Amino acid sequence: MNDYSWQDLSVGLGATFEVLITAQMLDDFAQLTGDHNPLHMDQAFAQAAGFPGRVVFGMLTTSFYSRLIGMYLPGKRALLHGVNAEFKNPAQIGDRLSVSGEISYLNEAYRQIEVKARVVNQNGKIISKATLLAGLRGQ
Amino acid sequence: MNSTEIIAELQPIFADILDLPDLRLTAETTAPDVEGWDSLAHINLVGAIEKHYKLKFALGELQDLNNVGDMANLIIRKLGA
Repeated sequence: MNDYSWQDLSVGLGATFEVLITAQMLDDFAQLTGDHNPLHMDQAFAQAAGFPGRVVFGMLTTSFYSRLIGMYLPGKRALLHGVNAEFKNPAQIGDRLSVSGEISYLNEAYRQIEVKARVVNQNGKIISKATLLAGLRGQ
Repeated sequence: MNSTEIIAELQPIFADILDLPDLRLTAETTAPDVEGWDSLAHINLVGAIEKHYKLKFALGELQDLNNVGDMANLIIRKLGA
C-alpha cells in the first residue's frame, strides 16, 4: 500500500495494476449486492443476448477504482469523495484488466485530488473511464 | 468583471456540482440556504471554481467567506492580482 503525503503528490503522478476477472468474482459480487441479473449470472442467457459469455457487472469493474485510490493513489491516507464513471465496453470472464489513474488536479486548500482513471482490457479496449475525487487525511 | 458578472458565471458551476439546475444564486446566498451544499460539495465547488478561473485559493481566504458575494469579490481580487 502506498502512503503518499500531500507533499509527495503532483499532477501527472500515476499508478497502474492488473486484475484477472474470474467467474468467482461475479458470483461474489452478486452475493454481495443482491444483483442476480441473468445477463451476469447465466451463460446461456448472456449468449442468447449476443454476448460471448456472462457479462461482468459494470459496477464490479468500477469497484477497482476504490482499490486504485485506497491502495495506490494516494493510498493509506485516502478518503474517496466521489466517482463519476462511464461504462464504455463490457468485460468478460478471463479478461485481464489494467486499472490506471493519473492525478489531474490538486485542490490545495482542502487537500483533495482529482484522478482521471480508466479500465482497459488485454486488447486495449476501454472498459470504463472515470473521474475520481479523493481527500487526503492528516499530513 | 464585477460581482454580478462573476455570480452569473458561478451559477452554472454551482448548478452542476450541486445538481440543482434551477438554482438561482445571489450575493447573499449562503450554504445553509442551498440544499446539498454540505462540506464535501463545498470542496468540490472550490475545485471547480479554481479550474474555471485558473486560480488557486488558500484555505485562509476561503475561511473568511460568508456568502456567494464574498466568493465573487475574492475571485475579482485574485484575478486582478
